[in-house]
Amino acid sequence: MSLRRTWAKLRALFHPEASDLPEEIQSHLSMEEADNLARGMTPEEARLAARQRFGNVTLIVERTRDMWTWTNLEMLKMDALYGLRQLRRSPGFAIVAILTLTFGTGANTAIFSVVNAVLLQPLPFSAPDRLVSGFETEAAPGDYPVNPADYLDWQARNHSFDSTSAYSWTRPYSIAGQGAAAAAAGTEVQANFFHTLGIAPMLGRGFAQGEDSAGNNHVAVLSFGFWKSQFGGDRNILGKTLTLDADRYTVVGVMPPIFHFPAGNDVWIPFNMQEKQFSQRGNHGIRVLGRLKQAVTLAQAGRDLLNISRQIEKEFPDQNKNVHAVLIPLKKQLVGDSEQRLLVLLCAVGLVLLIACVNVANLLLARAAGRQREIALRASLGAGRFRLVRQLITESLMLSLTGALLGIAGAWWLLRLLDRATTHFVPRLNPIGIDAHVLLFTLLLGVVSAMLFGLVPALQLSRGRLNDSLKASAQSVGGAGAGRQTLRDILVLSEIAITLALLVGAGLLLRSFVKLETADIGIDTNNLLTVNINLPDTSYPTFADRRRFFDALEQRAQQIPAVKQAAISVEIPLEGGNNGYVVIDGSKDRDLAKTLLGFNYVTPGYLKTFGIPLLRGRGLTSSDYEHDGIAAQKAYQIWQAAGNQTPKMPPDVIFHAAISRGAARAFWKKQDPIGNTFHYGGVPVVVVGIVDDVNEYGLRQETLPQAYFPFSIAQAYGGGSTLTLRTSVSPASVVRELRVTVQRLDPGLALLHPRSMQDVIADQTEDTRMQTLLLSGFAALALILSSVGLYGVMSYTVTQRTREIGIRMAIGASPGDVLRMILLHGLGLTLGGIACGVLLSFALSRSITGLLFGTSPFDPLVFAAVATLLAAIATIAYVIPARRATVIDPTQALRAD
Amino acid sequence: MRKRPSSDQVDLVFGALDVLILRTLLWGPTHGHGIAKSIERLSQDTLKVEHGSLYPALQRLLQEGWIKANWGISENNQRAKFYRLTPAGKRKLTDETSRWERFAAAVTGVLRPAESEES
Repeated sequence: MSLRRTWAKLRALFHPEASDLPEEIQSHLSMEEADNLARGMTPEEARLAARQRFGNVTLIVERTRDMWTWTNLEMLKMDALYGLRQLRRSPGFAIVAILTLTFGTGANTAIFSVVNAVLLQPLPFSAPDRLVSGFETEAAPGDYPVNPADYLDWQARNHSFDSTSAYSWTRPYSIAGQGAAAAAAGTEVQANFFHTLGIAPMLGRGFAQGEDSAGNNHVAVLSFGFWKSQFGGDRNILGKTLTLDADRYTVVGVMPPIFHFPAGNDVWIPFNMQEKQFSQRGNHGIRVLGRLKQAVTLAQAGRDLLNISRQIEKEFPDQNKNVHAVLIPLKKQLVGDSEQRLLVLLCAVGLVLLIACVNVANLLLARAAGRQREIALRASLGAGRFRLVRQLITESLMLSLTGALLGIAGAWWLLRLLDRATTHFVPRLNPIGIDAHVLLFTLLLGVVSAMLFGLVPALQLSRGRLNDSLKASAQSVGGAGAGRQTLRDILVLSEIAITLALLVGAGLLLRSFVKLETADIGIDTNNLLTVNINLPDTSYPTFADRRRFFDALEQRAQQIPAVKQAAISVEIPLEGGNNGYVVIDGSKDRDLAKTLLGFNYVTPGYLKTFGIPLLRGRGLTSSDYEHDGIAAQKAYQIWQAAGNQTPKMPPDVIFHAAISRGAARAFWKKQDPIGNTFHYGGVPVVVVGIVDDVNEYGLRQETLPQAYFPFSIAQAYGGGSTLTLRTSVSPASVVRELRVTVQRLDPGLALLHPRSMQDVIADQTEDTRMQTLLLSGFAALALILSSVGLYGVMSYTVTQRTREIGIRMAIGASPGDVLRMILLHGLGLTLGGIACGVLLSFALSRSITGLLFGTSPFDPLVFAAVATLLAAIATIAYVIPARRATVIDPTQALRAD
Repeated sequence: MRKRPSSDQVDLVFGALDVLILRTLLWGPTHGHGIAKSIERLSQDTLKVEHGSLYPALQRLLQEGWIKANWGISENNQRAKFYRLTPAGKRKLTDETSRWERFAAAVTGVLRPAESEES
């Protein structure tokens, strides 16, 4: 067919051509008739002969019109127009159905967009499936960050990687600029970091080879967001200077907006791996990633590195006992437990859509009864069964695709809400949005749901016995609708069951969330303000410099009127920290060699500031603080000289520590630890007191044995610290005054990460809060949909059974009897649904065990509460129609139809 | 869809009909009845055309843009739709005529030796 004709036909779809054909044929016939008359035929003969000559008029008309149409397309248009008329005739039905589907597909589209960005799309690096992360094992269970010396051996000895790159923890830096110092998140990375990941800067360059060695390493690469916010997207940024913690760096590159690795990082600076502090084996402080060679599998590389770490273990049996390499695909590491969270949500929205489909199917079934006669009429006029089903499916598709379209708009809105919260909820691996994959998914969802809710009613309807339907009353007593009624009951029952399962999931998460929020972490969490303060080595090179600053800081902070107590420490509760193995003097327990002791370094006011009760002995005093600071300086020098050997310390190098109740129990059993000593790194430590347990590693983590040393020990190494204030007013209101105090001491220092302790807790509950919020939202949607569904079916049943009820009442049934009959029906559906739902929940809730906290997946309280709620709402949904049944007037009812 | 194979056959028959219609219109605009009569007269009644079959062919020619149609008044004062040739239609007719002649010559060439062998 030529293009021209295709175009002509397309136009004709909207502007029918050849509509004057009958007239033209008529004119043709009359001319022929006139000719025939002229030849002497009778008028009757002339008319017949003309017709004969012309051929089958109807056929010709049809064939001519066919010239202008594609039969299929035309039929679709007819179906669609007919469907549109049908929908317009019952706008209530159309609106309810479309709205239901909008919610169903919208929720699915939104969650799928996140799944698509986080789980389905590959990482935005070249050949991302060859990227792996490295970890090390320990005597204690778990995977740990890597020791720098071990890593350098891996790098030198492996045969499996194209390249490997180490990077530090991301930490806040003070950036000096105009006005007050601000904060930026920075990560030190080896020079080949960007090359290993396979991503190029958007502007400028990455680090050149050797740029991570001393002397060359004052260069920086910026993240897109930081470049925009801090430099206003200045395209002439390259070559400009950025001051981080008093050190000056030259900006050499800007990364593209898609790059967020490590998460939340603003600035990348070179990582000098040769620095002395890294030479000690046994510490785990760096993060490692590698790019596998083309043909090397993860398992092969894992064996390669395992062999290397076994060699190292033989070379350094003291420090590297049980320290072995572990490899995890980078994608898997980054996705982490968000995979399970997302899959649970995807399941949940899938179930919501299923409920939505069931509801629409129910609506269609109810409508089908009304359309029975219309369908029968069309069938008797010659519409084939296929044609009828097609008509009904077209109508279903119109509903579902309209719903899908509106759903995309809804999803867009939901995603904007989600986007604000995704940092904690899911990692930012790819931008979350509605792309071609998502659109295709939604379209597919629309078609599939149309099949789900449209096919059964369509087949049922088209199968209907024509004769029965054409006879006036098909909805007689009991009637032809009985089979359909059973189907509807099953549909509603399954809706209730699914809803219960969703509610149980939401309830379990809600309970976990409450437990997380109210978990006892061993401190008084109210009115605590914490900020990070990092003293740059450049401006505070010696122990004495740092000591002077911190003493002044604590003193000045203490003088702020709203501050009750100030303390400085390396770590704060819940945020993790250092730990290591200690030797208990006089103990032969071998298990202790596998038990980690956590370390924190605190000023004497720490216990009081956090409200940690002292159980026995005494807390750390200022004389401990004084003494241990001097001892630490000596110890530090001896450690530096000793390299990988455990050094012998002079007798005056002694530390003091308070330990937690858990540490006392773990290391001294029933003995009294006070006055006893343990050794760490060759230094004897005297236990001076026992304090209560505090959760140091995170809300979801176990509380581990903990020791508190004087903060002066930490000052021997560097200037990383956290200042915590116990305030008498809201912590946020003290930030401004504290900033002034700090910058009066040193204008180059920023208050890094000021947060209340409640904020710290909120950071850790954010993922659960989001998950709970979303799942509760979906469960609520399911509850609304299934109540509407139940209500719809019950009211329909009452309408359908009007005549039956009328008869019953006419022969003496009381309104109470009728009410009881309807209520029993509704109650049966509800209880059946709840029973099935409980079984379904048992099967499903096992899958969310990993997301729960302190809550059993079979928590009886949640099950009971949810079942009660569902039963109560369902009762409302069937009592209203039931009441309507009782006011039926028998005489009216019998005359009905 | 179902109509596909049979409409191909129709196209073949109408293919010849198309040329005949275009040829008839070369003399000037006329209506469907006029076209039918002309074809019968020109072929000395060899080609019997079922009048109705003209109309699908006319639609196709309209779609291709080879002819145009307007309502007018016929010789015996009757409203009728008149078809006339467009410039594109004229070109088409020239092309088709020369193609037809070559085709006819070729077929004749193939058939003649067979005749002589028989004789």
